[in-house]
Amino acid sequence: MTAPRTTDRSDAPVGRRGRGLEIVLIAVYAIFALSATARSLVQVLTRFEIAPIAFTLSLLAAATYIAVTLALVRRGRRSRAARVLVVIELIGVLVVGTLTLLDPALFPEATVWSLYGQGYGYVPLALPVLALAYMLLGDRRGAPA
Amino acid sequence: MSALSIVVAVLGGLTAALAIYYAVRDLSADLVLLGACAVTAIGWIVLGIALGVRDVASVGPPPERVTLYGYVLTGLALVIGGGWAGAFERTRWGSVVIAVVSAVTLVLLMRIHQIWPGGFA
Repeated sequence: MTAPRTTDRSDAPVGRRGRGLEIVLIAVYAIFALSATARSLVQVLTRFEIAPIAFTLSLLAAATYIAVTLALVRRGRRSRAARVLVVIELIGVLVVGTLTLLDPALFPEATVWSLYGQGYGYVPLALPVLALAYMLLGDRRGAPA
Repeated sequence: MSALSIVVAVLGGLTAALAIYYAVRDLSADLVLLGACAVTAIGWIVLGIALGVRDVASVGPPPERVTLYGYVLTGLALVIGGGWAGAFERTRWGSVVIAVVSAVTLVLLMRIHQIWPGGFA
């Protein structure tokens, strides 16, 4: 393999080489931002009257993913904005997940956060927990990379 | 049609496997891995065109078009976006991003078959 090893690039100034694990977090959030936005837009634009509450929450989930993605890209994982948004995301998935269990009639059609993100392999539930763990533990280890 | 989707699946799987290998070896994406992304992206474009042609020629029940082509475009966007991240993130984590998006495209491909089974019959 001819790929340059990470450590080979000594010419690059420290901190300019990359974001490290953060880029993976950004990618996963971007994937969810994209898929949740597409899904909720289709729902809202084609059949909003069927389930206004569910589809509004779907749109809200999409907006949250977009906001977290932007916060991570622009401010990084140490920013307060990213942390607050991830906490909001966690509350959202817990509330919507619990609502779908307690009152399924409210959700005639699935959303990203239905049943704690079951349709997406529970990644929507795991993601904010992992993101928070990474943000907080990474911070405790101290100085920026 | 099925053969084409198998090719796209194999391309996505190979790209994911290669990206995992790079990540484990602590390698950033090079032209081989980025090339694999590019070939996979071309596969998605061809698949999208083939589905469109089949859709136009089809006499059976039409697919749910917005969803179907939305998935095709998402697959393409993921591969291109993953490659872009891999090109600019010069650490092993860029390779991890390529592995993640390649794995997700396999799921998208599976869903495309569910959205329009007639397209692959």
